[in-house]
Amino acid sequence: MPMGNAQPSVRPAQAGRTDGAVASGAARRGGRSRRAGGGSRTERLAPYVLVAPAILIIVLLRLYPLLLGVNFSFTGDGARNGTPVGLDNYLELVDDPLFRTALGNVGLLVLLLPVAVAIPGLLATFIYLRVPGHRVYRSVYFFPAVLSPVIVGAIFNLLLAFDGPLNAALGSVGIGSVDWLGNPDIAMFVVVGVHIWATFGMALVVFLAGFATLDSALLDAARVDGASLFQVIRHVIVPGLSRTIAFVFVTTMVGMLTSMFGLLYVMTSGGPEGSTYLPEYYIWIQQGQMNRPALASAASTALFVIMLVVGLLQVQLLRRAGRED
Amino acid sequence: MPGMRLSRWLLAVPMSLLALATIYPLLFTANVAMKTRRDYILDRFSLTDALRWDNISTAWNSAGMSRYFVNSLLVVALSVVLLLLLGSMAGFALSQLRFRGSSALFLGCLAGLFVPFQVVMVPLARIMADTALIDTYPGLILVYVAQFLPFTVFLMTSYYKMIPSEIIDAARIDGNSVYGVYRRIMLPLGTPALLSVGILNTLFCWNDVLMALVMMPSAEHRTLMVGVTSLRGQYSDDIPTFASGVLIAAIPVLVVYLFLQRQIADGVAAGSTKG
Repeated sequence: MPMGNAQPSVRPAQAGRTDGAVASGAARRGGRSRRAGGGSRTERLAPYVLVAPAILIIVLLRLYPLLLGVNFSFTGDGARNGTPVGLDNYLELVDDPLFRTALGNVGLLVLLLPVAVAIPGLLATFIYLRVPGHRVYRSVYFFPAVLSPVIVGAIFNLLLAFDGPLNAALGSVGIGSVDWLGNPDIAMFVVVGVHIWATFGMALVVFLAGFATLDSALLDAARVDGASLFQVIRHVIVPGLSRTIAFVFVTTMVGMLTSMFGLLYVMTSGGPEGSTYLPEYYIWIQQGQMNRPALASAASTALFVIMLVVGLLQVQLLRRAGRED
Repeated sequence: MPGMRLSRWLLAVPMSLLALATIYPLLFTANVAMKTRRDYILDRFSLTDALRWDNISTAWNSAGMSRYFVNSLLVVALSVVLLLLLGSMAGFALSQLRFRGSSALFLGCLAGLFVPFQVVMVPLARIMADTALIDTYPGLILVYVAQFLPFTVFLMTSYYKMIPSEIIDAARIDGNSVYGVYRRIMLPLGTPALLSVGILNTLFCWNDVLMALVMMPSAEHRTLMVGVTSLRGQYSDDIPTFASGVLIAAIPVLVVYLFLQRQIADGVAAGSTKG
């Protein structure tokens, strides 16, 4: 996982507690033969023993399945189970209107990405500039980020129901009811909006950690020079936080690609008319409901390629941002 | 900036409204959970006239939320303990011990960060079925550990890097084996990071629905979040009971948030700034 330029916010409890051990070690140094560096076989193997469980789990349950899945995507489903079919699954994907919608929605997410980054960025700026009540905002805004997408989705299901409270409230001021989750033209925007509502606190905290490293002298200088808020953002904050901004862009995109399943499952089940499909939902439907694991694997591979592109973009962005620093 | 003071107060207005929009949905749900069905149909917004616990107890008992709650508690607790144990062991070795292949092994762990569950869902379900681990607690626990271990190893490694190596040298001279150093020095010194990472992992596992849905298909193995989704079909015409189920699933997280807000935010920030 990548890296802003901020100071780590968690620091080791400084040596206080181990002073005793250090002192007694030093005292005994003369008397005992030096064992550091470890001569015995068990000692030399120890690092491998410590790393082994973690690496085994990651290789067996993450990296090996990745290869297995890619391999699997070139075989058939059902009657053709296990036989090589070349690119058939990929051709079927391209022809499937549901998968096309899913890809189109990924495009929509990319278009909405600047909004999803700008909202927490601006709010963090205001909090950093000490808007009255700034201490409260941080903890209130962060709060939905700890709720499960299932809970968030369930709550908004209640609020956005056609005969639900939001429409009742709109009706009382003379606006007609909107079918928030039943209209294929707006349902995806509604779900993305709820996702942003639920996660902007995460990005806000990351931004605030970035602000902690910003040179406040620059800001004071800008103030003395009479810079407007917009000028401060444009010329001091954005250049100073370029790495943090790049990081938030990528994590927000990854979050949109991999953590909206709960919302989709609870709020729309991919509907209406398949308009709220995303790759992860498509994969789940094909593997679990349609019994098309090989087709699902092809969709998984496509999702992995998308993630890889995002990842490479991130490296690129961070490198460029690093140069500007 | 002369206009600055005024504009700050002007900004406070939309920011307060947003703060309200952030907490209102949950307050609304809590209020609905206390109402009778009739009250809810008549008026969705009115404050409940009494603190009624019948809906909560219906959701807890008849709808089976108590069972799901225990399932979640069990799976999450064991997953987090394993994550912290394996993550700190690997983090210690990768940050403080010099050995052949350590950087390759570190990269191997990091590679896991770029493979989300959705990408390996199909083969993973197959592996779990072949090893008879599907629809079992150990199976789901393994899947959670595999999902969040790369991040845990990464954070523990960068945390342990900040511990001066003199401390380890001294402990070794003192006669401790590598394992002794891990147990007596690294584990206690790692407490702040373990706490942060542990809370984050607890939230991630507790909040998951996709992995539980795929790995634990049978009804009696449902975790709390899967339980909430099944409640929706069951009580679609009894909104107050449904809202009660949602509330039951949200309350543990709320309590954790109220007491450990600082650590959660620090953990998120650390994830973004380490390395």
